[in-house]
Amino acid sequence: MSAPEVIPASDKPCETFVLNVGPQHPATHGVLRLKLTMDGEYIMRAEPVCGYIHRMHEKMGENRTWAQFLPNTGRIDYLAAMAYNHAYVAAVERAAKIAVPPRAEYIRVITTELNRISSHLVWFGAFLLDLGGFTPLLYAFDDREQILDMLEAVTGSRLTYCYYRFGGVCNDVDADFIRGCRDFVARLRPRLKMYRTLVTDNIILRKRLEGIGFISQEMCRKYGATGPVIRGSGVAYDVRKIEPYSVYREFDFDIPTFPEGDCMARYLVRMEEMAQSLRIIEQAVDKLPDGPVLSSGVPRVLKPPAGDYCFAVEAARGRFLVRIVSDNKEIPYRVRLRTPCFSNLSLFEEATAGMMLPDALAVLGSLDLVIPDIDR
Amino acid sequence: MEPEKACSQDLSQIIKFAKLDELLDLSRANSLWPLTFGLACCAIEMMAAGASRFDLSRFGAEVFRPSPRQADVMIVAGTINKKMAPAVKTLYDQMLEPKWVIAMGNCAISGGPFVYPGQYAVIEGVDKLFPVDVFIPGCPPRPEALIEGILKLEEKLTGKRRWPTVTPQ
Amino acid sequence: MVDYAGRGFHLNVCVWPDRVVAAAELLDRNGFALDAVTGMDWIAENEMEVVYDYFHPADSCRVVVRTRVPRSKPEVPTISQVYPGANWHERETHEFFGIVFLGHPNLTPLLLPEDATYHPLRKDFVA
Repeated sequence: MSAPEVIPASDKPCETFVLNVGPQHPATHGVLRLKLTMDGEYIMRAEPVCGYIHRMHEKMGENRTWAQFLPNTGRIDYLAAMAYNHAYVAAVERAAKIAVPPRAEYIRVITTELNRISSHLVWFGAFLLDLGGFTPLLYAFDDREQILDMLEAVTGSRLTYCYYRFGGVCNDVDADFIRGCRDFVARLRPRLKMYRTLVTDNIILRKRLEGIGFISQEMCRKYGATGPVIRGSGVAYDVRKIEPYSVYREFDFDIPTFPEGDCMARYLVRMEEMAQSLRIIEQAVDKLPDGPVLSSGVPRVLKPPAGDYCFAVEAARGRFLVRIVSDNKEIPYRVRLRTPCFSNLSLFEEATAGMMLPDALAVLGSLDLVIPDIDR
Repeated sequence: MEPEKACSQDLSQIIKFAKLDELLDLSRANSLWPLTFGLACCAIEMMAAGASRFDLSRFGAEVFRPSPRQADVMIVAGTINKKMAPAVKTLYDQMLEPKWVIAMGNCAISGGPFVYPGQYAVIEGVDKLFPVDVFIPGCPPRPEALIEGILKLEEKLTGKRRWPTVTPQ
Repeated sequence: MVDYAGRGFHLNVCVWPDRVVAAAELLDRNGFALDAVTGMDWIAENEMEVVYDYFHPADSCRVVVRTRVPRSKPEVPTISQVYPGANWHERETHEFFGIVFLGHPNLTPLLLPEDATYHPLRKDFVA
């Protein structure tokens, strides 16, 4: 697959100007700023400027106890907070050698996958909003509210979850939640079909996305881009399959990949991922074992043995890695958060050189950025 | 009944006299145009408030405008850090009078969960930058809380509440 | 070699600071992708550590490359010519720890304000 033809900007030395997009701009999804050097309508250089929502997560990890850092993990990527909860909790469990009861692992998988769908639904609405279609947002938020109702019932919050504990989860799920999951799976499947006819097959959308914003496999590798970005370039890299964690080994699901590497491929990957998440939820609900949801032997004051420990999960936007360094005290020595959006955005400058401005904004939307995830 | 009298009675049904100030306040309160300005987590709840279920347009406040020149209420939805503060201040200064500010969420109220002794990045409350009319607590506040905040702002503008309140049983 | 289940990575390599580029080139030839570059401040030993994480897009293999430099002169050569993605990671490590990446094209603050001269993740940092 070669790079689609890009209309080259004129070679003649001509007047360029700098266009500032953001930090307050509806297309940047938050407080990202882009410094664009433009030649007419063509971008010569697009330099992202970050840090407008830097919230000191890593420094805060060093001055509060292991458990006190938990609420922070819900506020890094607030759209897919469950996966971030999971990575941090599992890293500490790995360090302190805490076993997790099987029921808790299943609940973690169900809630993470529900959260992944709700995150992709927000992306779906917001991405199409960027491209000029307002209606899909209303459909997407309608479905998303159903998920939030269920998650709110078990976790107590709609968005910034702090549900997982060292050694399990804090609340058991009830029969209502299980029934809600089944109903939701039955509800979303026809809705995904409707999204296909309503949006995916729309000729205007295809013209806006097909062949736009080519990202090669090599570029993904060099920049460390993961998640739907690398899968949209045809690499079946998914932490759930390659480094299986929790109980993901026990489920039958596919990793959707599309080799085209353009915005449409990344769009299709996410749409297909929602269907795969539904499959996981369905299987997990069927297999959900009985038993406790919180391991009983967790000490109240946690002091993991000295050393450094990593845990990577597949968050909605890609690979999220937590590295914790312990020096056998109540407070972490260092918490390093490797977030997917940071790496995914870093290739933006190379990917958009020579592109037209509206296409670059389509690329930005197809990367699915959450800005506090970049800035931490 | 004499025709003139009937006419004036009918007119009183459709013509009301009020002070121009009150009329202006009423129309402002009925059509608050917020600035499309999301900072962090609270912005997602702000989007949810404008989307299907919560439907902010019932209260006339759904016309989110990306340009500060066209907006008259700024919903500060999220954490403001030291790098962002000058930009937020500029946005506030660019908005035309009369203008109002809603501080949504704990970060905009006081810095929220990101404040600790010796922190280096976060502005501890948007009221350090410019005056705030309504504070909405929560981390993040629910969309209903945002709607209630907007109703409180209407109350501030018109001096009376136009919507019923629900008292807990 | 370390125990993956216990630590979360397969291979833990400590190298001299001048060998990090060679290590990056070796991993690049073997198809590894850059995960992250990060710093660590070991104030008790008066040293700074730079940690390079790599993952393989097709294999379950995670490699961690570490190097240590004295705190008084924290200088490491850049790997951004091998992995362009390291550019941002090194800028971030520089602003948070004050570690200088020699040969880096643009070592300016990324997340902190443009004029920031402090290094907040150093253990002796006081706001």
